[in-house]
Amino acid sequence: MSSSTELTEKKVFLLKSLDGVIFEVEESVAVQLEVIRELIEGDCARPFISLYNVTSEILALVIEYCKHHAETCSGGTSATIADEDLKTFDNEFMNVDENILLELCSAADYLDIKSLFELTCRTLASLIKDRTIIEVRKMFNVENDFSVVEEKAVRKEFAWAFK
Amino acid sequence: MERNTMSVESYNDFQALPEGCIATALSLTSPKDACRLSVVNPTFRSAAESDAVWERFLPPDYRDIILRSVDGYDSVLAKFRSKKELYFHLCDNPIIIDGGNKSFSLDKGTGKKCFMLAARDLLIVWGDTPEYWRWIPYPESRFPEVAELLDVCWFEIRGKINTSMLSSGTTYAAYLVFTSKSGIYGFEYQPAEATVGISGQDGVKRTVCLDPDGEQRHRYQIVPRRIFFNHRLAHIYRRRGDLASERITEYPKVRADKWMEVGLGEFYVDGEQNLDMEISLTETKGGNWKNGVVIQGIEIRPKAE
Repeated sequence: MSSSTELTEKKVFLLKSLDGVIFEVEESVAVQLEVIRELIEGDCARPFISLYNVTSEILALVIEYCKHHAETCSGGTSATIADEDLKTFDNEFMNVDENILLELCSAADYLDIKSLFELTCRTLASLIKDRTIIEVRKMFNVENDFSVVEEKAVRKEFAWAFK
Repeated sequence: MERNTMSVESYNDFQALPEGCIATALSLTSPKDACRLSVVNPTFRSAAESDAVWERFLPPDYRDIILRSVDGYDSVLAKFRSKKELYFHLCDNPIIIDGGNKSFSLDKGTGKKCFMLAARDLLIVWGDTPEYWRWIPYPESRFPEVAELLDVCWFEIRGKINTSMLSSGTTYAAYLVFTSKSGIYGFEYQPAEATVGISGQDGVKRTVCLDPDGEQRHRYQIVPRRIFFNHRLAHIYRRRGDLASERITEYPKVRADKWMEVGLGEFYVDGEQNLDMEISLTETKGGNWKNGVVIQGIEIRPKAE
C-alpha cells in the first residue's frame, strides 16, 4: 500500500447485511459479487448497498472469500502457485458447519459469485452423495411434503437407484 | 443519503435453499444419486428433473456422437421433450452409429459412455471365406449382420477402440457378445486367449472359455482332456508361468438381452490419453475344428463398481 493518497485512493462500498451490520469493501472485492459488478458496469451502483438475504455472519465469510480470491489473483505469483493457494484456501474455507455451508451456497447464488457457488455446491454434493433420504431431509431442514401416493410413485420410477 | 443508498432485493424465502442450488448440487453427484435423492421432497424432485442437471450427466460430446447415428441427428433428438428422457433412452436403447458398425449407449448409474463394436467392425481372420464364416442378418442383434462361425481351426478376432471416445477416469471392461444357434463345438479342449492392451504393445492376457457349459464342466472336473500332461511337464509349464490353467478362466454369462457375454479384459482410461486399445480373442493352439459361435460384437463398458 502506498502512502501517497491521491493516486491510490481506492473506491469503497458499504455493504449492509440483513441484521444491519455494515461492511466496508474495496471495489476489487465488491466486483467479485456479480450483482454488484453489474451495477457498477451499468453505472448505477451506489456506495451504500443493502443485502437483504445475507446475515452478517455469512456476509463476513463471503467477504473473506472474495478478498482472498481478489488478492491471490492480482498478486505477482505465478498462475500455478496461485491455483494451489486457492485450492488450499477453498478446502479450509469449506471446513464449516453444514448450516453455514447451506447459507453460504444460498448467498453465493443470491450474490452471484460463480466460483463460490460451484465450490459450495460441490461440497454439498459430496455430503449428500452417501446419505440416506432421512439424513438429507434433516440436513436441509425440509419436510417430506410428498403425499403417500406421490412418494410411492417417485420410489417406483427410480427403484433401480435404490439397489 | 437516499441517493447513495440501494438494496439488492430478495427473491425468495430466506430460509429455504433455492431449487437452483439443489439442482447444481445434484448435478455434481451422479445420475443414480440424483434419482435416489428425488425422494427427499418435491423441491428435490423438481430439481432432479431439470435439463441443467441432465445436460451435465450426458457426456460432453453426446451431440457429436448422435450426429453419427444412422437414424440422423434430428430424428433421434426430436423424440425427447427433456434431457432426462434422452438420457434414459440412451441407457436402454443403444443407438447405431458409424454406418451400422458400432452402437452407443450410456451406463445408467454413472452416465459413462458404452460402445459395442459390431462384428463387421472387427478383424476376423478368415471372415471373408464363406466356408469358414458366414455373415447373416439376425433378428435378435442390434446390428444389421452378425458373424456365424461355420468351421475354423484358426480362430482369431480383433477389435480396436480409441480411448478418446471413452469417458475419462474410468476403468472399462471389454466383453465378447455372442450366442449360438445349436451349440458351440471345439472350444472345450483348449481355452481361448484374450488380450487387451495398447495397440502394438503386449497386452494383458486372460484365459477365456467360450463353451456355455464350461463352468459346470470345470467345477465337476469333467473337462475333456485331449492332451495328457505328466507331472514333470506340468511342473515345467508352471515354472514358466504360462500354463493356461494358472490364470483365472472367464466363463460366459447370460445377459439381460439373452445374449451371452464373456469378459476379455480391462483397461483404465485417463483424461489425457489418445490411445488405440486393441482387444483380441484367439484360439489357435488346439488345431481342431471349431464352430457354432454367432458373434454380435465386442462391448466396451465401465467395469461395475
